[in-house]
Amino acid sequence: MTWAIEVNNLNVWYGDKHILKNISFKIPKNIIFAIMGPSGCGKSTLLRAMNRLLELNPHARVEGQVRIDGIDVYNDNVDITWVRRQFGMVFQIPNPFPHLSIYENVALGPKLNGLVKNKSQLDELVKQALEQAYLWDEVKNDLKKPASMLSGGQQQRLCIARALALKPKIVLMDEPTANLDPVASSKIEELMLELKENYTIIIVTHNPQQAARISDYVAFLYMGELIEIGETSMVFTRPRHELTEKYVVGRMG
Amino acid sequence: MRSEKIFQILLFFFIFTTLTIVVGIVVSLVTTSSPIFIKYGLDFVFSSVWNPVKESYGILPALLGTLITSTIAISIATPLAISLAVFSSEIIPQRFRSLMNSISDLMASLPSVIYGLWGLYVLAPILHNYLMLPLHNYLGFIPLFSTKPTPTNLFTAGVLLAIMIVPFASSIIREAYTAVPYNLKEAAYSIGMTKWETVRTMLGYIKSAIFAGLFLALGRAMGETMAVAMVVGNILNIPKSLFDMGYTISSLIANQFPNAEAYEYMVPALYGGATILFLIGLVINLVGLYFIKKVMIKG
Repeated sequence: MTWAIEVNNLNVWYGDKHILKNISFKIPKNIIFAIMGPSGCGKSTLLRAMNRLLELNPHARVEGQVRIDGIDVYNDNVDITWVRRQFGMVFQIPNPFPHLSIYENVALGPKLNGLVKNKSQLDELVKQALEQAYLWDEVKNDLKKPASMLSGGQQQRLCIARALALKPKIVLMDEPTANLDPVASSKIEELMLELKENYTIIIVTHNPQQAARISDYVAFLYMGELIEIGETSMVFTRPRHELTEKYVVGRMG
Repeated sequence: MRSEKIFQILLFFFIFTTLTIVVGIVVSLVTTSSPIFIKYGLDFVFSSVWNPVKESYGILPALLGTLITSTIAISIATPLAISLAVFSSEIIPQRFRSLMNSISDLMASLPSVIYGLWGLYVLAPILHNYLMLPLHNYLGFIPLFSTKPTPTNLFTAGVLLAIMIVPFASSIIREAYTAVPYNLKEAAYSIGMTKWETVRTMLGYIKSAIFAGLFLALGRAMGETMAVAMVVGNILNIPKSLFDMGYTISSLIANQFPNAEAYEYMVPALYGGATILFLIGLVINLVGLYFIKKVMIKG
């Protein structure tokens, strides 16, 4: 079996602070994998260690391996922009480029990365990405308008479209619904269930109910350590670790 | 509560005083300059003869000088100010950053006579020997470079102005650049942008601030007096090339006011120049403030 992603002995430090401790796991393709845990446990850091976005922070130091399709993204021969293109990323606060149009927000990635040969291919790719993000019908007549005119939920779906337009192997989502109202949130959750047909999705959430609702596999992270990982139904009904149990029943947040 | 009352009264007094002075300046600009506009009408603006002995005054050469020097200044300053802002917020190592910004801010506040001295004795000869002469010798067929240059001329003044306004424009751009939300940079890198592609995108995001900085800097360049008066050449001719000696409105006023009262219409003429400068400056600064306001609303 080929894995979507394999993490081996991953350690991360911010300066002297040991943020992630010896994390190892692997997950299969075309599933939703949720990483849950209380705030400050290192969930977002783990996500950013996968696509090497962590390196924007000059104090961060990483050891260990992250393999996608067998290739270690930390190998010296691997190009960092290639790594980032293998992942589409969606952030906690919807962050489309507000000064660019809806179209340009989606088109920018594929254009810069040379994924398309001409304008009509690009148009097609943008349309496809917006359709996959359930946004096309709402914006198809406003493609030239600035992204800032969209609502919060629409902006987040635009960010999903921007990520999908890269044709990534894996979609990383960092608490994508934390800043959305319940209606917009459930739209995003439906969308994720749809997307796993074609992508592997890794979502970070501080909300165990969300993890239970949408994920196939789940990991519980606590103070930088991977406490438990497994099929979601198992982890939620028969947690092996006391900390996990406390967390999923809501006695720890 | 009496002290509060006194404080209020003082506050209103000072506000009233400030406003009165501003209004007073505008009123005196208009009333004192009105004779020249009444006598010469638009000829004052479009005539190139400035001969106090014959009481004929045309501001056109100085007006052109102001426009040419500030155009040179802003064209040179634009790429420099943007590069400096990006350099000091993206490239220079963290520990040198505040030192570099302090130096840049210090340069923005140096008295302009210092720039003038340096411009006259250091910059002008260098520009003359290594830039203007070669340009004239090899590209003299281009009208812009057709005059045989002297060290002090419109071009030198423009370059000096550029140097003077770069720190000011750059500090506005830098403020905006460092205020770009971190998650936008993350978004840029997350779709596989390189550092330069990210910088370009972020500059697009702050383009209102860039326009604001450049327009406010342009306003400064147009009003700058002392440094320009020292290097512009101070000759009232319609310039035929960038290398002609010239005048700007502000340097004209600074140089001619001592003997102005000897002539009937010279004081109104200088006031007329000041009024025109005031109007141009007002428009430029309003445009700058419009862009600042756009930045404030967004951010």
